[in-house]
Amino acid sequence: MTAISTTGLTKRYPEVAALDDVSIRLEEHRIHGLLGRNGAGKTTLMQLLTGQVFATSGEMQVLGGTPVENVEVLSQTVFIQESQKYPDTFRASDVLRIAAGAYPNWDQAYADRLVEQYRLPAKRLIKKLSRGQLSAIGIVIGLAARAPLTFFDEPYLGLDAVARQMFFDDLLADYTEHPRTIVLSTHHIDEVANLLEHVVILDQGKVLLEADTDDLHDAAITVSGKASAVDAFLAGREVLERKALGSLATATITPRDGDELAAREAGLDLTQVSLQALFVHLTTANAASAADPAPSRAAA
Amino acid sequence: MRIRNVVQLHTVNKLQAFGWPLLIMLFSLAIVLVIGAIVGSVGGDTAREGMHRGMQFNGAIFALLGPLIGFGFTAMGQYFPLALGLGLTRREFATGTALVFAGNALFYAVIVTIGKLIEVGTGGFGLSIRFFDVVYTGIGEWWQTLIQTFLLILVVSLIGAAITTAFHRWGQSFLWIFWLTLAVIVVGGVLAAVVSVPFRDAVVSIAGMGWVPWMAVTAGIGVIGGAIWLTLVRRAQAR
Amino acid sequence: MLDESKPLFQAVAEQIEDGILDGTYAEDDPVPSTNQLAAFLRINPATAGKGLGLLVDAEVLIKRRGIGMFVAPGAREALRQRRKFAFQDQYIAPLLREAAQLGITPEELAGMITKEVAR
Repeated sequence: MTAISTTGLTKRYPEVAALDDVSIRLEEHRIHGLLGRNGAGKTTLMQLLTGQVFATSGEMQVLGGTPVENVEVLSQTVFIQESQKYPDTFRASDVLRIAAGAYPNWDQAYADRLVEQYRLPAKRLIKKLSRGQLSAIGIVIGLAARAPLTFFDEPYLGLDAVARQMFFDDLLADYTEHPRTIVLSTHHIDEVANLLEHVVILDQGKVLLEADTDDLHDAAITVSGKASAVDAFLAGREVLERKALGSLATATITPRDGDELAAREAGLDLTQVSLQALFVHLTTANAASAADPAPSRAAA
Repeated sequence: MRIRNVVQLHTVNKLQAFGWPLLIMLFSLAIVLVIGAIVGSVGGDTAREGMHRGMQFNGAIFALLGPLIGFGFTAMGQYFPLALGLGLTRREFATGTALVFAGNALFYAVIVTIGKLIEVGTGGFGLSIRFFDVVYTGIGEWWQTLIQTFLLILVVSLIGAAITTAFHRWGQSFLWIFWLTLAVIVVGGVLAAVVSVPFRDAVVSIAGMGWVPWMAVTAGIGVIGGAIWLTLVRRAQAR
Repeated sequence: MLDESKPLFQAVAEQIEDGILDGTYAEDDPVPSTNQLAAFLRINPATAGKGLGLLVDAEVLIKRRGIGMFVAPGAREALRQRRKFAFQDQYIAPLLREAAQLGITPEELAGMITKEVAR
């Protein structure tokens, strides 16, 4: 079943189109990555999908309904927002108590365990907590709510390496035990790449790429070798990046069928492109094409 | 509807919801009592009588009402974003919050009424002072105080919520327009009263129109404030 | 831990294959479940499952319903044969290419191998 689908979803603010004609489809019971640079529209998309802001145009279906003012959908949805504001007088324990009442699947014992594990000072005023401790509140709520649809927006800002690993382990373990749809938004891709089954890359409010991570090794390859051989190979192919050092060159391309074989036959070395590298290539290429509308095809 | 969760959102912090307003009220009452004791011991019976009359305009009760005015502001400014963040709908938030406004108004109206009964019954706590039995909360019968205080707190909460929601929607420009309009009305009213005698007479006669019409006016303002708030909150977005 | 130059699910499959080849998982022994693999390697369970599925398709593993996955009888030998076949492509060809670039003749190369084995 499909957990989330959008068609032509657009959100305009007076000064900027935060989201522009976004059509995506996220299957249920998977971990999806929502990737993009700061200001790419990730948070806006999740705010739309949770009915926190209203769309300018376009359609969306979340858990079989429209999310806006829909108790049925929203009680099944938890959205851990990076910039969530809390009342000045609140302690973490206050938020956790309300969350416990708001989410039907809440597991209190699990929440207590997580509070201890992330060393969250539950009795301290939230406005006195560090960035990492704020993130910990979100993690506890996001996991213990066991909501069929869980959004994590930059969930591990300010957490140290140990706590980040702990979060990935907890997320995987609980997801395995209680399968649900998880959307993980981040611009730190390397650490989460292996957790994701499907990714959506946003840039400047538009979808740059949507694919299963297993298919992504086909999305880009890097070839390297003698500059003359590399350039001959690049002719007519879609080049994401080309770098040269002396007589050697490295280039990343969007391959078509048979390209890998052709590259090997041309005596070039082939390497896989990591999700992080692909992301950087795609977003820089997009920025370049925005500056220069001509398609970036290498001349022969 | 998850109204219970919205109510909990506002009341989970007991000290903030009930503790501080009551503590501040008791502190303020203590000061008035001290003043009463000093006036009584220094000035004698005539001074006490004059004080008793003068104190019906004494605003010490605003030590209690003041913080409650902020209730509408915090409800929208601080609790609304968290309610949305926890997946509560705007309708749930508005219903629950309206209930909290009403419950809050009733709770403090009862406190003020009980205080007034004690105050009147004991001759101003034996010191001829007035703290609860003042014009703002009603100097008539006890039930008038109950109704008046309830309406006052409720209306102020609703207007506070409406102003904060409008600010949320239109930003700083709304505040400028709001304060400017208010200033024009106040300054215009004062000027008109100074310049035109008939206008001044009209104002005086309106001010003296009696308890029931005044309550109707207060309730009317509350209905307008509430309607504006409920209309705006249904279209309010997270920021 | 995993070969980063390949799609993740292939790397998972190869890691299990390595375990079978070096005897970590004997024939008829169970291999780790999808969830155990996912937690241990910190990867998406679907990816781990796809890796195991690859081995089931290649008849290296057999699925016993409700119990788990087991190393198929004869899997070790079959794997060895397949890897031998790939050895040519993966190791010999690049070796010869590099040797040619350095001007090492096939005879010299053979000599170097014999010497290395003797050490």
